[in-house]
Parts: sequence; structure tokens; C-alpha cells
Amino acid sequence: MSSSTLATKRTEPPAAGGRASTTPRRHRTRHAESRGAWILLAPYLALFLVAAAIPIGYAFWIALQKAPTLVNPASGFGGLDSFITVITDYRFSGTFINIFSVMIVWLPLMMLGIVGLALLVHASPGRFGSTMRFFYFIPGALSGIANFVLWVYLLHPTQSPLAPLWQEVGFGSLKEIVTDGNMPMILTGMLFFQGVGTWIIVVNGGLNGIPDEIFEAAKIDGANAWDLAWHIKLPLIRPWIGYAALMNLAYGFQLFLEPYLLRQISSGAIAGEWAPTQLGYAFAFTNRNFPAAAALSIILLVITLSIGVVIVMKSGLFGDEKEKKR
Amino acid sequence: MSNSAPGVVGAKHWTVGRIARITVMVIIAAAFILPIIGFIAMAFRSQEGVLAGTDGFLGLGGMSWDNVVFSWSQINGFGPGGGGLFTRWVGNSLVVAVIGGILALVAALPAGYALSRLRFRGRKVLLFATLLAMVMPNTVLVIPLFLEVNAIGAVGQLWPVAVIMGFFPFGTYLVYIHFMTTMPQELVEAARIDGLSEIATFFYVALPISKQVIALVAFFSFVANWTNFFLPLALLTSNQENKTISIGIQELIGASPLFNATVAAGLDVKLYMPQLALATFLSMIPLLIVFLTAQRFLIRGQTVGAVKG
Repeated sequence: MSSSTLATKRTEPPAAGGRASTTPRRHRTRHAESRGAWILLAPYLALFLVAAAIPIGYAFWIALQKAPTLVNPASGFGGLDSFITVITDYRFSGTFINIFSVMIVWLPLMMLGIVGLALLVHASPGRFGSTMRFFYFIPGALSGIANFVLWVYLLHPTQSPLAPLWQEVGFGSLKEIVTDGNMPMILTGMLFFQGVGTWIIVVNGGLNGIPDEIFEAAKIDGANAWDLAWHIKLPLIRPWIGYAALMNLAYGFQLFLEPYLLRQISSGAIAGEWAPTQLGYAFAFTNRNFPAAAALSIILLVITLSIGVVIVMKSGLFGDEKEKKR
Repeated sequence: MSNSAPGVVGAKHWTVGRIARITVMVIIAAAFILPIIGFIAMAFRSQEGVLAGTDGFLGLGGMSWDNVVFSWSQINGFGPGGGGLFTRWVGNSLVVAVIGGILALVAALPAGYALSRLRFRGRKVLLFATLLAMVMPNTVLVIPLFLEVNAIGAVGQLWPVAVIMGFFPFGTYLVYIHFMTTMPQELVEAARIDGLSEIATFFYVALPISKQVIALVAFFSFVANWTNFFLPLALLTSNQENKTISIGIQELIGASPLFNATVAAGLDVKLYMPQLALATFLSMIPLLIVFLTAQRFLIRGQTVGAVKG
């Protein structure tokens, strides 16, 4: 971004001035520029329509329909009926309570892990620090189903390297381990293991962006490593921490793979509609109630979009404000 | 970082704080790495060895190539009429991940360039929508996408999955940042003065300096497509032949006697933990190859610097 501001300063001819100029020639180029931009954007816009805008619009429309039933197979305008169906469903509030029960354990541990490990890595210059950072990142490469199978291996009471521990605690089968009460811990383990490494790298990048002079000055003032971390580094990386927290919060609402598969391996020890996304899946595929499935998607969409708007508006990570000065 | 060593607090002597820091970091690293080593070892073990519990620390003593050959015969034997579903699923994943990746590149490169270096009405709105789509978890859209694909009667086919995967706003963002940081506005102005059209400027000036971001977008979109679970689950479950490997492994788990004795009893192949670990390990190999290929681009950072003159 700095290079672009430099560039404008170096090029003095009026053509580079941008917005102020209103000569006819300028107008023509503006027009050509805008037309060129839309042509270049066309493939992306087409995919945006097909994979985001149209399905969202269509989901709204479907959600306002009546669900066809055996008695009355005709569909038609149903107003907000499907939203009421979803919200009054006996499983609805439970799915959100489940998600919150995980987030209460997972988010604080995750943030502590990200910030703590990023600070430790940053306090360890040279090869040791970068090796450790690489080690923390490796589990992040196993995302999705691979991470899940790894955790099945770790949790299995007879096949796991932790088997003696599980047996000591009294777990004899997966059915005894995968219970509603243990879900927050299990999911915290899975999500932490899979996610922390990438975020360490992000926050570490933020730490590396702090000029060395700040640390030098603090050291001259007598700050030790702890003071540096607590009073200088931590306040400076607050935007990154906020960004990580919100991204992980939004991530929490869309959990699907882990609870879905945990049910499968525990022969149904936990509910099939444990998370909100699973409830939506059940509406669509078990009940074939598409309006309700669409309504639930829209509820989730509104929640995650709101978090997303906060992320985009608040985090200065996108360089858009700087861009305006161009 | 390394040349500042003399000034670093506690860099030369073993203070309590330094020992504590290193101990904590090493213990956590071990907790991250040992399970993965044990899991990879599991792919090389036999169910007999696992049950007997004689394979030693993390099962490393029970590893052999014969076990892999046997496990592969079980994995490959899965499926109706002599099996072969596993390779079919891997093939499907390759198809959707590669086509999705190519679409993502074709869309993201010109779009990211236009957003960063051209002025047009609606630019800010589009940028905002891209950022929003980028930070939004993608599974939220799966049910609406299913409804859309269902409406055109294409559920169970691979092409809608590939097309949907082609929408990759993070890729557009990467390209946007790439041109913001490496391509000065004056280069665009110069091309205009030379009489190049906006499209030609993109192809002849911007694209040639985009090798690095092409590698980044290709890498991230391939990984995202390969590991995507919910989208293929919703769109492809109805057609066993067209599953991708991520939901295929779910089917293997469902057929394992470890978790479902009744289904497993009806199968010729036995999928215990070593077989599941091997299947998972094999399914990761394409990711490993892509990672090693893209690695130098990922690590080198964002310094292209070819346009400074």
C-alpha cells in the first residue's frame, strides 16, 4: 500500500491526479476504465451470483413458502410460517445451547493458546522459534475429515495411545466417551488442534510487524521479557486478537462435520440434530421440509453475516481506508 | 531477527524464565506431533498387532509394508462388485478440486486486479461483499446451495460442486492485496498512455507479474476444495459413484466393525483402525504434493519487487 502512495507522489502529470480532473479526455478514459473493469469482473460476478447471491435469494423465497404435507401437497405462500416452525421446533434452542456450551470452553482456550503460543514463538528468535512454529502448524494441515479420523484414533478406548488413560477414568467404549457432557471437551480438542497453528502464524505476523525500536526502547527503560509481552506486544496486537476471536466465533455457528460424525461413530450416543446446521440438514433431508431448512439457513446466515460485518468494518486488516487516499 | 541476538533479554544465559519458556514450548510441540506420528504409524500396522498391544511406543514397532499391502486390499476392495470405490472417489475429488481451482483462478485474477487498480462505480460495495463472503463460514450456504441445485435437478452430479467451489472470495482478496502491494498505479497509467486497453493491460502487464499469487490462490483453493465436506455431503451423497474422498472416508468409517458391527458384518472387507488410518493418509497425499509444490511461494512471502523500475 505504501508503494502505491509513493507512486502517486512520483508521477506528477495531471493524468495521475485522479478524481479532481474533469476534462473530456479524462471522461472518456473513465468510461473505458469502468467498462474494462466490469468485463474483467464478469467471471467472478457470474460465480458470485451462482454460488452466493442466487442461492441466498432463492432460500428467502423458499422460506416464505408453505411446506407441502401429505394431506395438502400443494405449496404456496406461507409467510413466516416456516420461521415459526423452525423457532418453535423442540430441538431449535437446544442446538444453540450446544454450540454455546462448546464455545464457552473452546473460545477462551483457543484465544489463550493462539496469543500465548504466538508470544512464546515471538520471544524465541532464531531457529528454535521457527521450528516450534512449524510444529504447531502441522496439525492445521490435517483439516476436516483427516483431523476427525485422527481424533477417533486418539479417543478410541482400546486402540488409542491414550487407552490406559481412558480405561483409568472408566471409559470402556466410544459410547461412554462421546456423550453430551463430554462434547464441549471433545470438540474443543478437535478444533484447537486443527485451528491454532494457522492463527499462531497470523498473530505472529502481526508481532513481526512491530518495529524493533519499540522493543529496544523498552529494554533501555528496564523492561524484561514479561513486561515486553504484557505491556507492549499484547496491546499492539489487539486488532489481530479481535479478528481471530470473531472469526472463530463465526466458525462456531457452522460446526457440522465433527458432531455429525461423532454421532456416527458412537452409535447415536449424541443427538442427530446436535448443532444448528445439523438441524437444517435434518429439515432438508429427513423431513424434506425445504421451507424450514431454508428458514434455518437464513437465521444462521443473519448471525454469521452480522459477525462478518463487524469483522470487515472493525478490523483494519483489509487496507481499505488507506486505499481511499489514493 | 537472528542478528539482534546480543541485545535480546536472556539470550545468552539460562535464566529460570528462559528454561520455563523452552520447556513449555517443547511439551506443547510434543503434544501436537506425537499423535500425528502415532496416527501415521497406525496406517502401517495390523489389526492383530493393535489388539495384541505389542507394537511398543506409539505402535512404531508394529509397522511393516506387508500390513500396508493388506490394508490397501481391504480399502480397494470396498464397494459393490469387487470394489474400486476408493480410487473412484479420489478421482472425483481431483476433478472437482482441480476444476474448482481453475475456475477460482480465472475469476479471481481479473476481478482482484480490477478491484485494486481500476476505478468504477460499485467498487466499494463489491469489495465489501467479497470480504464478507470471505469471512463467512461456507457451510452456512450449503442448504441454500442444495435447494438451488435441486431446483435444476443436478443433485448427485459433479459439475455443480466444481462450479460452486470456483467461487473463492479469499482468492479474489489475495489477488487484490497482491496488486495493491506490488503493482504501482503508475504502471497502469503508463500502459494507458501507451494505448493499451484495460483488458490488454491486465493480460500483458498485470498477469506476467502474478506468478506468486497464482500459486497462492491455486494452493488455498485446492486445499479448501479437497477438504470440503458439507457441500459434497449435501450434493453428492445420493450418488455413491460420484462421492468425493472426504465423504467417501465417512462411508468407510460407517462400514467399520469398530463403529457399526451390523453393517460391517455384511461386507467382504474389514476396515479396522489401520485401514482407516491408511485411507486417511492416502487421501492426504495430493494435499502433500500440492503443498510441497507451492511451498516456495508460500514461504517466500509477498516480496515480488519486479516492478520497481
